[in-house]
Amino acid sequence: MKRLSFFNNPIKRVAFPLWRGRLVLIVLAGAFLTLLGRAVYLQGIHGEFLQEQGGKRYERTITLPASRGKVFDRQGVVLAASIPARAIWAIPEDANDATEEQLKALAKLLGSTEKDIRAALANEDKTFVYLRRQVPLDIARKISALGMPGVHQLPETLRFYPEGEITAHIVGFNDLDDKGQEGIELAYDNRLSGQPGSRRVIKDRLGRVIEDVRAVNSPVNGADLTLSIDTRIQYQTYKALEEAVELNKAKSGAAVVIDVQTGEILALANFPSFDPNNRQSMRGQGLRNSALADTFEPGSILKPFTVGLALELQRISLNTKFNTGNGKFYYQGATISDVTKNGVVDARGVIMRSSNIGMTLISETLQAKEMWGRFTELGFGQPPQIDYPGATAGRLRPWEKWRLIEKATMAYGYGISTSLLQVARAYTAFARDGDMVNLTLIKRDDKPVTVRVYPQGIAREVRSMLEGAAGPEGAKLAKVSGYRVAGKSGTARKIVNGAYSTKYYRGSFVGFAPVSDPRIVVAVSINEPSAGHYYGGRVAAPVFASVVGGALRVLGVQPDAPFESSVVANSSETPR
Amino acid sequence: MGRTNFVLAVILMLSALSLVTARYQGRQLFMQNEQLKSQARELDIDWRRLQIERAELSRNARVDQLARDVLKMVPIVPERTIYIQGGTP
Repeated sequence: MKRLSFFNNPIKRVAFPLWRGRLVLIVLAGAFLTLLGRAVYLQGIHGEFLQEQGGKRYERTITLPASRGKVFDRQGVVLAASIPARAIWAIPEDANDATEEQLKALAKLLGSTEKDIRAALANEDKTFVYLRRQVPLDIARKISALGMPGVHQLPETLRFYPEGEITAHIVGFNDLDDKGQEGIELAYDNRLSGQPGSRRVIKDRLGRVIEDVRAVNSPVNGADLTLSIDTRIQYQTYKALEEAVELNKAKSGAAVVIDVQTGEILALANFPSFDPNNRQSMRGQGLRNSALADTFEPGSILKPFTVGLALELQRISLNTKFNTGNGKFYYQGATISDVTKNGVVDARGVIMRSSNIGMTLISETLQAKEMWGRFTELGFGQPPQIDYPGATAGRLRPWEKWRLIEKATMAYGYGISTSLLQVARAYTAFARDGDMVNLTLIKRDDKPVTVRVYPQGIAREVRSMLEGAAGPEGAKLAKVSGYRVAGKSGTARKIVNGAYSTKYYRGSFVGFAPVSDPRIVVAVSINEPSAGHYYGGRVAAPVFASVVGGALRVLGVQPDAPFESSVVANSSETPR
Repeated sequence: MGRTNFVLAVILMLSALSLVTARYQGRQLFMQNEQLKSQARELDIDWRRLQIERAELSRNARVDQLARDVLKMVPIVPERTIYIQGGTP
């Protein structure tokens, strides 16, 4: 067969009808239009959505955690700080492929047993199981070095409290997610926690950040907080309290130290306490900040306030004599008794010998409304103006409902309930010449708010009575070498099942020093001492003395009382 | 005409190359920045840790115990203190 060239192909000579060419043209044009339409649809109409979807596949939003503020004491000692830690979590299905040795090593690093970890990984349907939270970084590094399958880590923070149980009640603690749960951590949670930021970035295949897509939204770190607490005084207070509670086999104890001039709380200790670094210890009585949150009937430590009121209203004078008889007094169908037979005494004697009968006689000169008014001015029954969760108001019943016998018992501190902090604050009235100061747990830079409760002359008079009450004829154990102290002991019977117990007591001592120019008010309360002694002058006064001595030394206050110096005699000797 | 085109082409080429290097350098600097930032974070963490370690070491309970037991110190009492009056300058 003869080969034909393309051009001479006979088939080519066939004349096609014109419509076939048109058809091809139209079909092609249609196809192009479809493509164009699709392009417009994808780029224009649907473009935004698709761009977003694409972004989701290579862009990531990273949260930038804000670090929680630190808590300092007044000297700048760290009381609470956050450090980075890791949460160890696992996907059970993958993690169960790990070898025996790996599991053993992991258990050892986490401080738990292999059995516990196996139990946590038992349910393979779960896709996320926390193995341990708040693991310190160095241990977390060792865990990742194990290279276990299915075990992962998440960054988080761990709150650390260097002073431990000493400041536990004041500072409080956080939950696992670093939110305040108790104490200052809760009260100032907003200020401490800060604001987390975020950034939108493009990441590469290996997860490295390549580029910022948007401007970085920087995190705002939590503000630091400086407390009014002085850790040195806090430590001494805590130790003295611990010793006293153990010596007297007491159930618990609380103590407060207040700076008279600024109203700052220098120390606030409770025993038993807990270790905020160890969640196992957070239970029971130890968690209670009883100095602030528990109320009790204060007993004799309230006497000076009533005496001060009677003196101010001139119902009694310093020379008025009260016949307290032989220590038993029948009044309004009840027997009021004194610990000792005091005979005829003046107001000073009533305070020094802590005579309940004398107080009853003084209460006769006062009206219920006047007493109620003064107690209210002193802050009893009023919510304390202090930023602390759970600070209690105590209870002061309205005066219209007082019976005569109640007015009498109220005069010596029964039938009214307060917290230890409230009593301590009320005593600043005597320490500051009648001017009561508002308290704070935060270091104060400006002048404190004060309320005048007693005239200066009366406050000084009561102060001198209180010095007598802490002297040789009163609570001798409150004596502090080198300093003049003033204070009042109190022993209150506790209410058990609605009646006053003859077995359970609370011994307290509240006072201030040095008397010539008071610097600190110290209040101590020992709850249910059971080692034989229960009088406030016996169980609480030694704590007062040791705290006052230590605190005044720390504050560098010069002694105002004569003392026998053993150094002056030696000072002429040549130093060895 | 041909000459102008040639010059423009060369300039275009150079500009394209410089764009590529600028992008490259930008990435490099960004990465360096990231690295330094993470280093700063590490140092901050270290500082926090050290601060806590210092607090741990200067804990009152520890100092008190060391002073009493190891150094055999006793608390100051006024009897054993000489008080000096501050002189007026």
